[in-house]
This record gives sequence, structure tokens and C-alpha cells, in this order.
Amino acid sequence: MKTVIGLEIHTQLSTETKAFCSCKNDVYAEVNTNICPVCTGQPGALPILNDQVVEYAIRAALSLECEIHEISSFDRKNYFYPDLPKGYQITQYFHPIATNGHVDLNNGKRIRIQRIHIEEDAGKMFHSSETITEARSSLVDLNRCGIPLIEIVTEPDMEKPEEAREFMEKLRDILRTIEVSTGNMEVGALRCDANVSIRDKERSSSRVEVKNINSFKFVQRALEYEIERITEVMKNGENVPQETRGWDSLTKSTVSMRSKEAENDYRYFPEPDLPILVISKERIDRIKKELPELPDEKAEKYEKTLGVTRDNAKILAKDKTLSKYFENAVASGLSAKDTSNWIVNEVLALFNSDSTEFNHERISIDNLKKIMDYTNSSKISRLVAKEVMAEVYKSGKDPDTIVRGKNLLQVSNENELISVVKEVIAENPDTVAKYKSGKTSVLGFFVGGVMKKTKGKADPKIVGKLIKQLLDDEN
Amino acid sequence: MLFKKSVEGLIEAIKHRELSEEEVIEYFVKRSSKLNSKLKAFLSTCKIKKGKGFLSGIPFAIKDNMQLENMKTTCGSRILEDYGSTYTATAVQKILNMGATVLGKTNLDEFAMGSSTEYSAFFPTKNPWDVERVPGGSSGGSAAAVAAGLVPFALGSDTGGSVRQPASFCGIVGYKPTYGLVSRYGLSAFASSLDQIGPLTKTVRDAAIIGKTIMGIDPNDATTVDKKIDLIDKIESNVEGMRLAVPVEFMKDLNQNVKNTFKKFIEDVKRLGVEVEEVPIPSLKYAVAVYYVIAPAEASSNLSRYDGIRYGLRVEEDSVAGIYNQTRDKGFGSEVKRRIMLGTFTLSAAYYDAYFDKAQKVRTKIKSEMDEVLESYDAIVGPTTPVTAFKFGEISNPLDYYLQDIYTIPANLAGLPSVSVPMGLIDNLPIGVQITSKRFEDAKVLRIARSYEKIRGEFPMPIGGELK
Repeated sequence: MKTVIGLEIHTQLSTETKAFCSCKNDVYAEVNTNICPVCTGQPGALPILNDQVVEYAIRAALSLECEIHEISSFDRKNYFYPDLPKGYQITQYFHPIATNGHVDLNNGKRIRIQRIHIEEDAGKMFHSSETITEARSSLVDLNRCGIPLIEIVTEPDMEKPEEAREFMEKLRDILRTIEVSTGNMEVGALRCDANVSIRDKERSSSRVEVKNINSFKFVQRALEYEIERITEVMKNGENVPQETRGWDSLTKSTVSMRSKEAENDYRYFPEPDLPILVISKERIDRIKKELPELPDEKAEKYEKTLGVTRDNAKILAKDKTLSKYFENAVASGLSAKDTSNWIVNEVLALFNSDSTEFNHERISIDNLKKIMDYTNSSKISRLVAKEVMAEVYKSGKDPDTIVRGKNLLQVSNENELISVVKEVIAENPDTVAKYKSGKTSVLGFFVGGVMKKTKGKADPKIVGKLIKQLLDDEN
Repeated sequence: MLFKKSVEGLIEAIKHRELSEEEVIEYFVKRSSKLNSKLKAFLSTCKIKKGKGFLSGIPFAIKDNMQLENMKTTCGSRILEDYGSTYTATAVQKILNMGATVLGKTNLDEFAMGSSTEYSAFFPTKNPWDVERVPGGSSGGSAAAVAAGLVPFALGSDTGGSVRQPASFCGIVGYKPTYGLVSRYGLSAFASSLDQIGPLTKTVRDAAIIGKTIMGIDPNDATTVDKKIDLIDKIESNVEGMRLAVPVEFMKDLNQNVKNTFKKFIEDVKRLGVEVEEVPIPSLKYAVAVYYVIAPAEASSNLSRYDGIRYGLRVEEDSVAGIYNQTRDKGFGSEVKRRIMLGTFTLSAAYYDAYFDKAQKVRTKIKSEMDEVLESYDAIVGPTTPVTAFKFGEISNPLDYYLQDIYTIPANLAGLPSVSVPMGLIDNLPIGVQITSKRFEDAKVLRIARSYEKIRGEFPMPIGGELK
């Protein structure tokens, strides 16, 4: 069995104004306030291409290693739907702005990008029930209508659902880094349709398109579900019809939306209201020069020149604010390798457990530095360090205040620790016996006991030394 | 006899205080309301003045497919019967800015699809030369209004001849500028790559004055070009030594009456020292076919917005598809439906290459053949229409009807400037001569027209301006 997956991705560009009129690009405004004769399709209104859209599209295309075409053009995609005021969408069908790009996955696999084209978003519908067919009434908000999109079409180069997910995440990281889109799937700023087909030795299934996938997690889940479904159908010797299915995030399944026969004939033809789009070599060169460092380039730099592990480097380079945080920490004199561990293992863990996005203000570099210093100079243990960091994250208090206030400084004074060590030894005669019979690995058990009694404040190195001394002395 | 005056004549009269601005306006308001009941040129009337300028005191009319804020813009269609414009078309605004007063919006074939106003959803307009005959179309209301002196000038739109053909039928001047010179913003689109707004006037000089006023690059229309052409400057210069081409294809099946009238035109211009030669432009025989692939294709897309969802007629039904079907069935007339069907067919995936794509290629061929002729000739000339105004209902076969545009269509396909000037009467019905030149040679087209107009002499108004 071989699975073939290709993706069609729509990204809203975060330009100031819409693609073909001067209305604000703001989906959160009060309904139907960012509208004009052009984006509501009044008679006689004409589109004017927003140059910022071209700028952003070029930036994205260059970041995805595409070939930019000096000449491209616009076309109309005709279909009727209440959220589409003109009865057609302006897109680039015959001559897209860019083709032939790629993104490399972390395992080195290259996912080719077939094309990137500019188009416009439709409005948003609100139905009085789940679907338009059941609804007694529907309302349309045209604020979203005319918001610029780029559609990115990959070659069917992915074989596993997790590859599709990784591709989407990498794409989001790139789009964010170059500041052309928020890349937010949950609110529809980034949308993904997945095409999947499966073939075994004898036959191959038709291509099934899965729509409405609205999170990175669901990219994987929807494909897993669909692959299982298709495999099952094939096993039963039945045909897999070519169709479009929708992902239902509530039931975690896909449902048939329309068959191939019910597909629209979009009657594409060149948009007569817009001249051809000419992009000069100079412009492409200028934009290329202005591009920020992309996540993969950055990760390589962290790995090669700063000695950060590959995994940590990838994580830190993904997000612009995070990589800046890391770089600032290193610039303030902290060791790159150590800092990368701290950020990935401790700092990010706190944000992840809250499922919130990283925000450098929650744990400032100063505070991170203080906590690292405390730990590295053995003034607090790693365990206590975690606790202090959680407190900083929660309350924003200074680590000094927390350490002092809670009396968390590590006890490394042997006189203070010896009584606790003795206590732990006295409480565990069986383990002492084991030790004495030569099983020295139980030493850690005693250290743990002492750490517990001292609430993590004891210096484990000193404790270990003391236990060893006491047990060995008894011999 | 104010109605006989040209725009220029009225401006002069106002300037020399023979008349006040108000007097002129009131005169035309009265005359319009009196004669319109017979001609039915207007779909709605008004008296809107916005700015102050050299056209202050000059009334005019606009075809009812151009937006005028707070007025209805019906496009001659039931589907937009109650549609109120939310903004004003650029070309209209430019005239308003110069102080002119809109007196009304004129009748047209529904969405400008037709050559007689018989396809207006409301009523046909009558030809002031003979009220049993059509005024031509689709800008028939504008042409009739100017010919009968209801207004001294009007705006029309020309997609395949819709300014020039009614001008020919009504005995006035109709000028279609080079594609891209006049903004289409606010002109309800029929076929976007062909549509162009142009003036209908009594004189060539008036056409130049109004043409100059409405021209210019528009930030709201990406197909407009930044080109300044002075249409008036050299309009009186002589045309001696110029060479005019008459396409052999235009002469072939021409009826004798029209042929004779056109011969007279040739004799007249020869007296101006102009050479006239017959020249083959073989691809012209495909012009009508190409036009009736491209125009309906673009129209089928342009008219998709009339779906009953946001504005215009809406027939309530239980489903969205039902609303679409019923609204468009009740809202569009037969000719519009025919063209939407045609265009939907030729754009469909299975037929795109065979029809639309091929038509685009032939269009390019027509363009290059015309351009080539215009390298060695100053203009291409011929009768504007194959016949004079026909009677209501006389042409019922769509194919015969479409052939009305046979001479006017090439200029739209090639984006060339073209003007129709009255060249004579046949059985007391006017017919025009059409002069077409290279892109942006609008000044030359008007200069040739003006030279001919001078040698031709004054052209009569229908029955001295009254109706029989």
C-alpha cells in the first residue's frame, strides 16, 4: 500500500487593505462595515490590484524557493454562491505568479510546490442551522470578501499524515517569519485542503479531497481517518469514488460533500478588467535581499555555530519571537547550549502546559538568567529552579524575591544535612542491607529520600557524599 | 430654436449673455417633457447639477447603464428595475464637475444587448425621423434624445457599435474613443474588453469637446491609460494628402442605396485632397462571429452578480438555487438569456478551446490586420450600418439582427477610435459614415470627420425638430 498526499493551501495575506479595493483588511470589524461598491459587486464597479498583495506574494514565493514569473495574469473563476458577490472569484488560473518551489521536511524529504497564485477571499455565511440546505435563513458578512489570499499547491509528494502536518507547520513558520500572514489555522487565516489516494500492487483508489481542516492537529487526524477509510473500502473490493469530503472536527470523521459529477465547471477565462501583472527582475532581487533569515537557515546556524542540538535548534528557529529571545539571552552572556536546553525544556514547557503562545514578557531574559545562575552555582537545585520558574511565569515576581521569600537556597552545609541523612538511613534498614551486600546503586534511593525531606533544597552532590561516607563508615 | 444649437453654440450664447444658464436648462426641460411622451427616450428624468465650469447651463442625458448616485440605474432590465446607484460613474462625474445638468437617463436594449431598444424591458424608443422605426441601439434613447433636440448631447456606451449605429440611424455624430481612454468605472459591464463610453452629439466639434472632458486615466479603472490627447487643437486642420482605406469586405453585399450614398462621401472627401482606395482585410469576415463568442462569454460572467442576493429583483424561493433560478428567469429578458447561455456554453471546459480561445486568437488576427492597413492609411472608412433604421419588429431572426453590427464591431475588437458622422439620407432616413484609425489617433479620426462635415454642409434635423 502506498499513500500519496498533496495539499492545496489558502493563506490570507495580512495587507492593510483588500486585494482589489481600498477597504480595510479586517475580518474582526463589525459585520458589513469594511465594504464598498467593488467588494460588494455593485454594477459598474471595477477591481484595482493592491500592490502590497504582489509584494507579499513575491515574498512568500521566494521563501518557498519558487520561480517568480515576470509576467502573470488574472482570471475569473465563475460560480454562484451567496458569499460571492460578483458571481466569480478573481484568481490566477492560466498564468500564476510563481511555480516550482519546495519545502524540505526535517527528515530531509523534499516536498515540491507546484504553484502559487494570488486570489481573493469570499464573504462569510451565517446559517440558522448547521448547513445551508437545512437552514431556514442565512446571513452574509462581506468584510472578508476581497481579502487577499495566496493559494499554494504542492505536488503529491507526501506519504504520511504526519508529513502533511509537518509541512503545514513549516509553512506557517515561514509565513510568520516573513510577516505576510498570521498563519492562524483556527481562524481561517491558513486553510488546508488535502488530496489523498492510495494504491496497492493491483489497483489504485481515486483521488479524494478532504476540505474544512481547521487545525494542524486535524491535518494529521483527518488524513489518518481518510487513509483508514479508503484502505477499508479497498480491502472490501469496492471502488473508491472520486469525491470531495469534509472533515467534521466534532465526530472526528469525514463526510461526503459532493461527487466528481457534481463539481462545478468554473468557466475560467482571462479577467478583462485587470491588465497583465508585470514584475521586474529588480523588484524580485530587492525583495530577495530584504527577506529575513528563514527558520531552517536559522536552525542550521544555531546548530553549526552555537553548538545547539539539532532538535533544539529547530524548535528555537521556528518562531520569530522565540528565536529573538534565545539570541538575546545568548548575547547577554549565557551559554548557547545551556540556554537552549533551558528554553526548550523548561520555558516552553510552561507555555505548552497552558497551551498558550510563547511570550517573552512572561519570563524575561533577566529572570531566566537569574534562575540559570542560581542553578549553575548550585545555590538552588534543578527541581527548585523549575518551581521558581513556574512562579515567575505565574506571578511575574523576581526570582530573587521568590528564592528569598520561600527560603529555597540549597543547603550544602554538611552539618545541617547530616542529621537528615542519618534519619533516612535509620528509616531504611533493608536498603542499607542491600547496599552492604554490594548493591551500590541504591545510593540514589537515599539521595532521593533526603531531597524529599528537604523539599529539594539539599545539594544532591553533598548528600550523596555524606550517605556514602556514613554507610561505608559502618563497615 | 435653441434645440438646433450645438453644445458649443449654447456655450457661446450663455457667454455672450444672450441666454442665462437657467433659461437654457428650463427650455430643454420643457422640450424634453413635451416630446418624450412621443419618443420615449428617457427611462427616468431628473435635474442634477453638481459643479461649475465651462458646461454650466448645458443639459445632457446619460444612458441608463451608467451609475448616477441616488438615481435608479436600471440597465433597461427588470432585474434592476428598482436599483438605486450608490456612486457616480467617472465619465458622468467629469461632466458634472464641468457644471452640466443631467436631465435624464435614457432607454437602451437590456444591458446594452441589442441594436434597436426593442429589447428594453420597459418600452422601445422611437426614431425621431419616423416613429414607426427603431432609433438603433443599444444607446437608442440617447441617440433619439439628441437627434430630436431633447438635450444637446448625451453619453452612450459602445460594445459592438452601440453609440455609432444609433447615431447613424438618428442622423447625429457618435464617437467611440480608443479603448482605455475613457474610464468604465460606473458603467454596468456588458463585455469588459469591448465596452467604451462615448458621446452622442449634433456636431463633430461637440463630440471632441465632450470626448476630451470624459477622457483620462482613472485610479478606479485599471484598463485606462495615462495619455493626454487634445481632440480640439488640430480639429480644423486640413486633411489634404491623407489616405483612406475602404475594406473590400464592407462593399461586397452592400445595397445600392447605401452604396450610392457612400460614393457621394468618397467624392466629397476626394475634393479635400484625400486619396481613397479599396483594401482587402480578409479576417474582417470573422468579426461578427468572433464578437458573438467573446461578448456573450464576458457578459455571462459580468451578469452573474445579478443573483437576487444583495440588491435588485429577488424572487423568494425555499432554496438558494431556487432564488437564483427564479430571480434570473423573471429578471432577464430573452435576448439577455440567449447571450448568457451562449457565453456559458463557449466558456465551459469542454468548449473553451474550440470557441473562446479560438475567438481570442482570431481577435488578435483582426487587430493585427487592421493595424497593418493603418500603417499605410490614415483611416479605414465605410458606411456605419448596412441599412437605414428598420421598422419595429422587422428583424426577428437573431442572426440577421446581429449583422446590424457588422461594420462597427471591428473597432471594438481592435480597441480602435471610431466615429460615425451623418453622410446622407435615403428615403428621408439618415445613414452615417464611419471613420476608424489607429489606437490613440482619436484626434485624427475627429479631424477627418470634421473636414468631411464642413464639406458636407449642415445636416437636417428630423422634420425641423418637430415630429410627424
